[in-house]
This record gives sequence, structure tokens and C-alpha cells, in this order.
Amino acid sequence: MANFDLKDRAAIAGVGNSQYGRRLMRSPIDLAADAIAGALDDCGLTRDELDGMIVSFGSPIGADGDSVAQLLGLKLRTCNQTWAHGRFTASCITWAAMLVNAGLADAVACLASVSFSSVRRPMMGGSGDREGAREAGGGHGEDPVYGMTSPGAGAALVARRYFDRYGCDSRALASVPVAFRRHAAMNPAAIMRESIDVEAHQRSRYVCEPLHLLDYCLINDGAACAIVTTSERARDLKKPPVYIGGMQGLPGGREEFIWAYPGLGVAQQSVFEYEAGQQRVYQMAGVTPAEVDALFTYDAFSIVAWIALERFGFCKPGEAAGFTQDGRIEIGGELPMNTNGGLLSEAHIMGWNHQVEIVRQLRGECGARQVKDAEVIQWANAYGDSLIYHK
Amino acid sequence: MKESEYQKPLPTISSLNRPYWEGLKRRELRLQKCDGCGLTWYPPAPLCPGCWSRKFTWTRLSGHGRISSWVVFHQAYFRSYEGDIPYNVVEVELDEGPRVLANLLGANADIRCGMPVEIVFDDVTEELTLARFKTRPSR
Repeated sequence: MANFDLKDRAAIAGVGNSQYGRRLMRSPIDLAADAIAGALDDCGLTRDELDGMIVSFGSPIGADGDSVAQLLGLKLRTCNQTWAHGRFTASCITWAAMLVNAGLADAVACLASVSFSSVRRPMMGGSGDREGAREAGGGHGEDPVYGMTSPGAGAALVARRYFDRYGCDSRALASVPVAFRRHAAMNPAAIMRESIDVEAHQRSRYVCEPLHLLDYCLINDGAACAIVTTSERARDLKKPPVYIGGMQGLPGGREEFIWAYPGLGVAQQSVFEYEAGQQRVYQMAGVTPAEVDALFTYDAFSIVAWIALERFGFCKPGEAAGFTQDGRIEIGGELPMNTNGGLLSEAHIMGWNHQVEIVRQLRGECGARQVKDAEVIQWANAYGDSLIYHK
Repeated sequence: MKESEYQKPLPTISSLNRPYWEGLKRRELRLQKCDGCGLTWYPPAPLCPGCWSRKFTWTRLSGHGRISSWVVFHQAYFRSYEGDIPYNVVEVELDEGPRVLANLLGANADIRCGMPVEIVFDDVTEELTLARFKTRPSR
């Protein structure tokens, strides 16, 4: 074990969010102000006590850390930022946990604030999408020379591969958006609350076949913030700390493709039968998948919820199609997932709305959608990173 | 067609991938093959991602492979693709190992995973040749 053991040494002390909506007509920094002020109020820290910030997803869709600090009159000792891509939620929380335990900051605001409606050219696919122009192509397999564009197209490639390899289809996949929509119906903050069923999923138009519109997450406006501090400090603040028991980084290399676990055979991955095995996040937290009370995942597309379940050993490769049926992933089921409604139905705040919900679930603040006796909640993704939170 | 008239996205050509695009122009599918461990890889890289040898040869490939996955775009993200909707993008696992994305000529309804395909060189401008594929009768 490392000599810098972070197990249970950092906690989320406060969370906050802006309103979520399709077109709020408010700038990313305007929305960020609501989320940061909400999170400070939630934990009882003052603006001057906030001395660190990590921004996940910046301009031009999101708010950049330096501009937020300037416009809100913050005095930050350390201000860091990822590039404008959504998969860095666990990374930001991990870096914040490291900063506060290394004494480089006392309280770090992890922030994502986005306003898709304020950009003139669409940026998720098409001419405004910078992903496909990256050297060696986009992170979701974008190759615009052949018309391959948008994050969803990469997920569609994974879905087809999965359907073919394991002998299932789009009808089975409907279980994911249908379950998350049921959760959103219990969440007043969710953007999409109208009930859907398998037939509605099947009737919804194809965007990139085999994925239908209802397999796609929202594109919207909103901000969410989580304030990380040491566990010791958090215990003296307004609300009970939510401890970070385990963490696992974002893997990279030729065996990785953002929406697939190794072995599925997408992009340059080898083909083999994936085994979840013992992963660092579980070892560090001292928890097994069976002890996880609720699972949250970056559900940009329905198929990646299946991939996450299998990647982390909740079921074996090919079994998620069956596992997600019959209410098993709904509140009251064996493993409730994305009780906020997810990116698919609550809002797409780059996974930060999920962190807000996890904290509220562990505090018992979720009302009608409260997971009974929730003590351990995991954030785990198709792309391999994870956090385990507990009371 | 002159390149200035071509409306669809153009490749980002770099010091690493220029020989690939020059190969297509000559109607040759060429990728780097390691002189040491024999690995053939894609996308083009500064060294062998397997053994880190910098000794490699741009090697002509068979142009044969099989479809490993595929999608059909029903939404036109690019204005220049509006007339092509619904169009396919296939992932082809080349016989030499690497996978590339391309379009399959022919009906979308006939596409299957595992289908054998072969390369078709498509001169889309005076300067640019793309690699597309067509079905290949299996033996």
C-alpha cells in the first residue's frame, strides 16, 4: 500500500446545483454561481474558506475555473481544470482528495457548469465538434472523413458489437432508459419526467443505429458542485461527511475504448472474455460489489450502463441484458442505479449531478426516491474509473 | 473534383499519418509494420506500440478484412452528409490485425458482423483518396 493512504481521508462536505433545463438562457458562469453558493451553504463554509477549485469540462460550453474565480471574487490557492470532455468526474474528486490531504488546499470545489444552448454551432458531432480533428481521431471513435462523428456513434458501435457477440437486441436495452425515467419522475429537478416504456423506446427515431433517441442522454444547461475537504475538517461542518473510501483512476492504452471494457474488440482492443477480477477501488474501500447499496454511472448512452455493470463485476459479460430487467436496477430493486434519473433523464452535467445525488442519498435527503438504508454507494463507469462513497 | 469544391470533412494530415494518405493516393493500403516484433498497427504512431522499436516499414496490406461492428447514421450532423442519410460506417478488422473505420458500398440492410470485405480506393478529390470497402465472396 502506498505511504499516502487516502482511504476515508477525504470527504464531500457539501453539494449544490443550479436549475437544470434545456434552454435556461443563462451563461455557464451564472449557473456556476448557483452551484458553488449552494454547495458552500450546504456545508456552512464561507466563500473565503474555499481555496481550491477543479473544473471538469470548460469553455466554450462550460465555465473555466480562472473566469469563475475572477467573476465570483474567489481567492484560490490552487485552480485546476480538465479539457472539455465528460469522463473526468472521478479524476477530479481524486485530485481534490489528494490536494486537501497534501496540505495544498483546505477546501476544494469540484465544478461542472455547462450551457449547451449558448453555443452557436453544435459541438456533439458535426462541424463544431473538435473531437474528430484530434490527432489520431476522437475519443469516442470519431473519424469525420467517413462521416463518423458524435460521442453516440462510438456508443452505437459498442452496442452493435455487444448485440452481435452476446445475442441480444435494442428491446432489451430499453430497460435502462425506462428505469432511469421512472427515477426522474420522482425527482422534481429532472428535465425529462414523462413516463416511457419499451414501446416508446422502440418507436423513438434512430439517431445512430442501433441506438434510438431514447438511448441518448440530454443536451442541456446546468451546473453542479461538490466541495471536498479532509474527513477531519468535514466532521466539524454543518452536515455529516460523505467519505471517499475507495478510488480508481481512468485507465488508458490500446486495450481501452471509452464505451467498452477490454476484450470487447472495438477500435484496437484485443478480443477475449473479460473478467472483472479484484479491482483497486474495492480493495481500497474494503467493499465487495455485493455490499454496494446503489450504483451510479455516466449514462451518456443506455448501452454504457450495461458495460459498467459488467466491467465492475455486478454481472458477467453478456449478462447485463438480463440483469437490468424486471426492476432490478430501480429504486426498491436489488441494485438501484442512477436514482436521480441519470444523464438520460435528469440532466447531463458531466456526471456531477450524479455526485450531488449520491451525497444526498447517503444523507437520507432524497424523499420519495430515497434508497432505504443506503450506506455504500459506488460511482463506476464503462471507461473503468470508480469511487466508493460511504456514510 | 478539386479539393476546394469538396464539402465533406478532410483528414487531419500530420507527420505521422502522411505516408498512410500518400499510400491511398497510389491505391495502396499501407500501415507501419515493426521490423522487430512484426506487429502491424493503426493509427500511425511514432514507434511500435508493442515493443517500442523505432524500426518499422510502411508495408502494403492485403486490403482484406471482416466487419467487426457497424452503425447507420440517421441524423445528418454534417450538412455535407444530408444527401447520404441513412449512411453506414463500418469498423473493419483487417486480416493483418488493426481495425479501421470506413464506409461499406452497397445496401445497409445487408451488413452483418463477420462479413468478409475488401478495400475500394475512392478518389474523392484530385488530392484525396479514401479507403472504402465492398463485400468479398467468402471462400
